[in-house]
Amino acid sequence: MKIALFIPCLVNQMVPEVGVATLELLEKLGHQVILPSGQTCCGQPMTNSGCFNEAKKTTLKLLNAFKGVECDAIVCPAASCLVAAKENFHEFDDSPEAQAVIAKLYELTEFLHDVAPIPAFSKPFPHKISLQMSCHGIRMLDLATPSEQMGPRMNKFEAVLAAIPEIDIVYPDRRDECCGFGGTFAVDEGAVSAKMGKDKAQAHAATGAKYAVGFDPSCLLHIDGMVRRQKLPIETRHIAQIINAAL
Amino acid sequence: MSSKQEILNALKSAAISPQAMPCIDIAPRIDDLVGQFETSLNTVAGTLHRDGGLSALQTTVDEHIAKGMQIISMVDGIIGNREVSDTAHELKDIDYAVIPGDLGVAENGAIWVNNKSLGHRVTPFICENLLLVIEAKSIVANMHQAAKLMTLATGEFGTFIAGPSKTADIEQALVVGAHGACSLNVYLT
Amino acid sequence: MSTSKSNVHAHKAEIFCKDESRVDWHSKALWMLREKRDRAAGSLPEWEQLRHIGSEMKLHTLTHLAQYLEEFEQNCVANNIKVHWAKDGAEHNQIVHQILAKHQVKKVVKSKSMLTEECHMNPYLEDRGIEVIDTDLGERIIQLAKMPPSHIVVPAIHMKKEEVGDLFHEKLGTNAGASDPLYLTRAARSHLREQFLSADAAMTGVNMAVADTGAVVVCTNEGNADMGANLPKLQLHSMGIDKVVPDLDSAAVLLRTLARNATGQPITTYSSFYRGPQEGGEMHVIIVDNGRTEMLKDKILAESLKCIRCGGCLNTCPVYRRSGGYSYNYTIPGPIGIAVGAQNDDTNSIPWACTLCGSCTYVCPTKVPLDKIIHHHRRLKAEAGKLPYGKSSYMPLVGKFMASETALNCSMGIARTALKILPGSVLKPFSGAWGKYRELPVAPNSSFEAWFKKNRG
Repeated sequence: MKIALFIPCLVNQMVPEVGVATLELLEKLGHQVILPSGQTCCGQPMTNSGCFNEAKKTTLKLLNAFKGVECDAIVCPAASCLVAAKENFHEFDDSPEAQAVIAKLYELTEFLHDVAPIPAFSKPFPHKISLQMSCHGIRMLDLATPSEQMGPRMNKFEAVLAAIPEIDIVYPDRRDECCGFGGTFAVDEGAVSAKMGKDKAQAHAATGAKYAVGFDPSCLLHIDGMVRRQKLPIETRHIAQIINAAL
Repeated sequence: MSSKQEILNALKSAAISPQAMPCIDIAPRIDDLVGQFETSLNTVAGTLHRDGGLSALQTTVDEHIAKGMQIISMVDGIIGNREVSDTAHELKDIDYAVIPGDLGVAENGAIWVNNKSLGHRVTPFICENLLLVIEAKSIVANMHQAAKLMTLATGEFGTFIAGPSKTADIEQALVVGAHGACSLNVYLT
Repeated sequence: MSTSKSNVHAHKAEIFCKDESRVDWHSKALWMLREKRDRAAGSLPEWEQLRHIGSEMKLHTLTHLAQYLEEFEQNCVANNIKVHWAKDGAEHNQIVHQILAKHQVKKVVKSKSMLTEECHMNPYLEDRGIEVIDTDLGERIIQLAKMPPSHIVVPAIHMKKEEVGDLFHEKLGTNAGASDPLYLTRAARSHLREQFLSADAAMTGVNMAVADTGAVVVCTNEGNADMGANLPKLQLHSMGIDKVVPDLDSAAVLLRTLARNATGQPITTYSSFYRGPQEGGEMHVIIVDNGRTEMLKDKILAESLKCIRCGGCLNTCPVYRRSGGYSYNYTIPGPIGIAVGAQNDDTNSIPWACTLCGSCTYVCPTKVPLDKIIHHHRRLKAEAGKLPYGKSSYMPLVGKFMASETALNCSMGIARTALKILPGSVLKPFSGAWGKYRELPVAPNSSFEAWFKKNRG
């Protein structure tokens, strides 16, 4: 498949290794990967603050970066940004061109589960990992059944990772409770955000896992800051990094 | 303009377009209704007496009377030592009230009582302990079925009672016996 | 301005967070309720179906509200129930006072009613010489402590048993130092029994008002509503216009989810249906708007009126559990408090007391889209020029900055360099709230875009 990468500003600027892992794993799976230029912020920091006017320019610029790009799918290694992009594109532009872009948007885990499953892993990953079930991926992208919901359960995140040989998957206590990042919440509500992050970091560490693995770099960045402040014996990794290491 | 009219007028500007009433069609769990009822009653801190019926209940009542307890019975065939008083307030020293229930609900252990069987409406609440009598065949599976069968004629009062009164308002510690009855025993007939 | 600032959610939350062991205790106590709720909900195969029906039924009712309210009134009248309409809290309080004054009531026993809290009724009546006794144990505790509720179902959840013990020792004469919940509850039982027996009137809230029968449904675990309403000859029930349901079948749907979602019980101990006054008694129902018709004019806010006040969203909310009920600047805290209270929040901060995690929306037994409503409140505040935390000055800059690749690349390049070469102690003061609580990110060498150009370009 021909895949256009959607690399949100946070990944581009702060965790480029997540972008590299995403690119490499998709190439290893035989996909042709391109990086359309002109990508900016999805507008989430502004729209989540209620500031839609302020978000419009950057959102439309990001959308324009993908309009007319020839590809089968647009893949993003950040669930929260992907959700915001979808919603904000829709909010500011309902043209058929915009719809065509929205229809091709996939979060990486979603893409690897629903669209182009990994045929086989070539290397084992003999470590215990604690899954970070970030909110927007779980409750807005349906990556897994939220703990609040009853009935049949589904979990794309675990399903993709569980196929890696020798991997040991565990969950923190209160498995999909928010880590407290919440965008500008982390600074507006510093005390509560920090307490939530601390509790989440400790819950991951308490599993005895070597890595806390997630699909949302912003949450991982927050948890990483907490892990290092608390000097906890665990490290954060993005799902792309784990998959890339096993291919 | 009256406040009623103001409110009704304001409702004309409601933003959501009219929605249809959904169909309430939920399959009841009909296996072992008495067993389900007993399990539910236990979870709400009540006790079911499956065997012995009214004679077992009368034996219990007699034992309580022998100990000097004040017992009012609203169930035909069960004899206490107190009559329905003139005022509700006079029931304040009742130790045990014996009351017939119209329906039992298997999914939650609740029993429907109607004020026709209460004397004063406050009887099942003001008594220290409550003894309810229900027929095994009156147990239904769930609240949907109960809603169809509960008797509540114009002007009446009725209540679903599920266990003795309880609270967890102090540090989430469950305490049985808040303002209503402190215990509930249910006799099956 | 300074008063307003000290009331903003973040500020009050920060104070609450200073005692970390208490935060942990508070969070755990509420999480236990969430766990009980999960077990109760999970035991019903039809749980999600009930949520769906509950939501649809409430939407149907809300979109036919005038019809159902009038039907309810007509049936009440036929049942010898007197119905009153109040457009706001002030009118509600006046109506209640008139009824009580006419009967020369000196003491009212009241069971839990968030509506009377919303209308600030107790102080209104007390100013006019009428004693109001809250009879729910939790409510009585906070009434004696002269505090508002910190939770809509467990109003004294913020107090430790030792604190209740000290309060009861002072107010009710219990043994000094006694803090056993059973002992304290029994003491409250005997204290309140005297109140029930000596009250001249009783008041309750309303969980559901059944239109086609003209009955009000009142749910309690303690039996306090029924001990009250069935002793004195005068009973009053206050309800928001959103409490009406079409029929008993509809009420049954909500009775199946209400207690399960609140505390994990299959149903509350007492679910009482009042379809008329007791013999020789008088029964009044006061139907209150107080801003509800205004909310119905906004498509998104309107859905908050589907709420049945189970408190499930508070129990699951990670922010509420760690900031406490008093941080919200509104009578009702937590997600539903933000949804129904944000418009009157003069600090304009409560819509931001939320990470938009969405847990509340999935917990809700009537599918109130709480995260969407809260998000919408932020937009309404922004449009009204009422942004907190300096957002109105910095957000336009962020918007411009984020839309410019050059600005973003240059400044982030500088930031990465700074993160690399400067020691943490130098950076911390500049990194504000982030660095106060967390380590700053480890800086990468370049952006992904630069890496891509170099390696795949």
